[in-house]
Amino acid sequence: MTETKDKGSPSLSRRSLLKAGLATGGAAVAGVTATGARAEGDPVITEIQDWNRYLGDGVDAAPYGLPSEFESEVVRRNVPWLTADAVASINFTPLHELDGIITPNGLCFERHHGGVAQIRPQDHRLMINGLVDTPLVFTMDDLKRFPRENHVYFLECAANGGMEWRGSQLNGCQFTHGMVHNVMYTGVKLKTLLEEAGVKTNGKWVLPEGADASHMTRSVPMEKALDDCLVAWKMNGEALRPEQGYPLRLVVPGWEGNMWVKWLRRLEVGDQPWHHREETSKYTDLLDTGKARRFTWVMDPKSVITSPSPQMPISHGKGPLVISGLAWSGNGRIKRVDVSIDGGRNWTTARIDGLSLSKSLHRFYLDIDWDGSELLLQSRAMDEHGFYQPTKNELRAARGENSIYHNNGIQTWYVQKDGTVENVEVG
Amino acid sequence: MSKLVKSLALTSALVASAMVAGSASAGDAAKGEKVFKKCKACHAVGDGAKNKVGPQLNEIYGRAAGSIEGYKYSKAMIAAGTDGLVWDEDSLTQYLKKPKDFVKGTKMAFAGLRKDADMENILAYLATFSSAAPSSGSDSSSAEPTAEKEALQTAAATSAPTSNTREGGVFGLGRKATDAEVAAWDIDIRPDGQGLPVGSGSVADGEPIYTDNCAVCHGDFGEGVGRWPILAGGHDTLTDDRPEKTIGSYWPYLSTVYDYVRRAMPFGNARSLSDDDVYAITAYLLYLNDIVDDEEFVLSNENFLEVRLPNEENFIPDARYEEPHYAEKSEPCMKDCKADPIEITMRAAILDVTPEDGGDDSAGVGAVD
Ligand code: HEC
Ligand code: HEC
Repeated sequence: MTETKDKGSPSLSRRSLLKAGLATGGAAVAGVTATGARAEGDPVITEIQDWNRYLGDGVDAAPYGLPSEFESEVVRRNVPWLTADAVASINFTPLHELDGIITPNGLCFERHHGGVAQIRPQDHRLMINGLVDTPLVFTMDDLKRFPRENHVYFLECAANGGMEWRGSQLNGCQFTHGMVHNVMYTGVKLKTLLEEAGVKTNGKWVLPEGADASHMTRSVPMEKALDDCLVAWKMNGEALRPEQGYPLRLVVPGWEGNMWVKWLRRLEVGDQPWHHREETSKYTDLLDTGKARRFTWVMDPKSVITSPSPQMPISHGKGPLVISGLAWSGNGRIKRVDVSIDGGRNWTTARIDGLSLSKSLHRFYLDIDWDGSELLLQSRAMDEHGFYQPTKNELRAARGENSIYHNNGIQTWYVQKDGTVENVEVG
Repeated sequence: MSKLVKSLALTSALVASAMVAGSASAGDAAKGEKVFKKCKACHAVGDGAKNKVGPQLNEIYGRAAGSIEGYKYSKAMIAAGTDGLVWDEDSLTQYLKKPKDFVKGTKMAFAGLRKDADMENILAYLATFSSAAPSSGSDSSSAEPTAEKEALQTAAATSAPTSNTREGGVFGLGRKATDAEVAAWDIDIRPDGQGLPVGSGSVADGEPIYTDNCAVCHGDFGEGVGRWPILAGGHDTLTDDRPEKTIGSYWPYLSTVYDYVRRAMPFGNARSLSDDDVYAITAYLLYLNDIVDDEEFVLSNENFLEVRLPNEENFIPDARYEEPHYAEKSEPCMKDCKADPIEITMRAAILDVTPEDGGDDSAGVGAVD
């Protein structure tokens, strides 16, 4: 039995296999599968395995189900040097491990400014005040009596890729692009709630506010508030996770994540923007002229190849290779994604698979026959309005290197002959 | 630390705590929980508490200083423990009053607790997580918060119906907010002065308040301790390679300072400052940023709008879609798009700041916010 276990290596993580393979070069990795083709046969087939014989756990072993123990590498990660304290910090979605378009709730990246507030839903209130006919207070139960809608939207932090303005710095799309997630929200339209209170004619802006210790606030123009914003309490069918604002958050489709106020407790209507800290000191884009753009709300068209990528090297050697990635735009749907394997000299249009929804992640694939030579992989998204993703150098030429936010430049991955992948820039 | 020192330390701790048992009960653990908010940014206590910026504080009474395994203390703290310093009521009081005086070279960046009542209360609160602490104190004080909690819960259960309906509106859901409720939550300030409360404070008033509540993280001169944010300086750096964005060099409006400090600072103890305190701190931040130079300068709701920040004019509207790469909207090139040979110009591996699972301290450049 023990012998079988060792050979079958069910307890070895995929990662340690990969690492072992990489250490001896790509060719040896191919050997892992070749072992199975020995004359006497693959032991996981020819020998009876533990799980073939013994019973597994019963139904209630984990009342709230968990991922397989062999997927323990699939977690959010942070970059400790970015911020002073984990309570006002960020971690990143493991995009390289995911497929399709929906992000599982436990893997959605986190960004908070005062830690994760823990709020009993019975103790949560939503207030509407300011330029309205009747200032109102809602309980969670009140909100659930309004007509509901379900929508899939991506949420991207405006600082996603912020560390890469000066050049390649972090090895892995989790770190370069992982401040994005995509889930289905259930909630009531913000418009419905504002109409319930009655917006006065001079009400032109809405200030959402959080109940956590940072009391997050942002100014949202009324046009957007009445268009597609949601006040949501569910993500992917279940209650919001505490780190995503349980019990209530604002959804501002296509616009920077900081505006999607979590632990939402108040909506104030006003005739002017408030110019609060998160729209002056932060989330303004400093240009090389010393001027700074403000109210840069929309998230521009963007894409990234999630596999192969630095954390997801090619482990199978030459032959069929699936190039897989994500594309999105705050302006609407993605119309097309082009992929280059030669650093942007030639491009092939990739296949968008699955749902194509407005302001949602799109999954694309390009299936190639890899000849084992070096690749410079790039992807370029184009949205339904014909805006396409610029190069990093085009962005630098227009803005300089100190903008922090809204870096949607084309990413290059350098694939070496042994299958390892590195974050690089090309000239 | 040797076993001998440890057991000696323990005995003296027990003796010490027995002697001061009377005074521990003077404190109120429920009030101490509020005082602990000053510590919370750096310390955890209670079930499953982990080390943060500072070590976790369970079983602090009777603990030899600097003895939590796996936490990186300063050399000074480890030396103090090896020399026999054990935390008890007396040593905690001295340390928490003036950390740097009591343990010279401690890395605890905390100015110290000034009020005696705060001190008694925090000690009573920490005692509830220490089995070696004076017991009378923890017993009498733990009864109260429970009673308080129960009272609160019953109140919540009776006073808040789970759902409300009313006359009017489209669906008739929710209820009218009272004036007191709106006043409690609506504390936002705008550049035109809307929302400013009546009040005032001077640069001179602001200095001690800032030193007590803000300097541990933001530095005595707003220069920022470690990676905590910088609040002052950075003039004329916005076009530099490494711009320093501060209230003085970058922020457009003073109203944002008042609004933000009142809603979110001090970090870990938000909404604890009075309106006058916030005026005084705002005045002091103007002083640290060389925007006012008179220590007698008084900032109030009356003269607030007269103060303008130097960078106000440099904020412009979003013009991303006028940039050439977006504006042209031409069909992107698909074949032979580059003439020169394609060369790698930059590699992430060279900086090597990608975190490994073990966690490392190497720092890259750039920021997320
Ligand atoms: C800005 C961060 C910070 C704040 C705020 C802070 N501490 Fe500390 N504390 C530390 C650090 C760091 C250490 C380790 C000191 C050393 O190694 O020199 C420490 C050490 C201590 C120790 C010694 C623990 C031991 O194991 O020897 C005690 C007790 C303590 N703090 C209590 C408190 C209390 C109570 C408060 C609030 C009234 C507080 N601290 C506020 C950072 C902080
Ligand atoms: C325990 C550490 C700590 C203390 C004490 C503290 N702050 Fe802060 N401060 C922070 C952190 C962390 C942030 C950034 C929070 C975020 O990421 O949203 C911050 C942000 C700020 C900012 C905004 C900086 C910027 O550039 O946007 C101001 C202004 C500020 N603090 C003022 C104060 C004042 C005034 C006090 C005292 C009343 C104070 N802080 C006390 C940690 C602290």
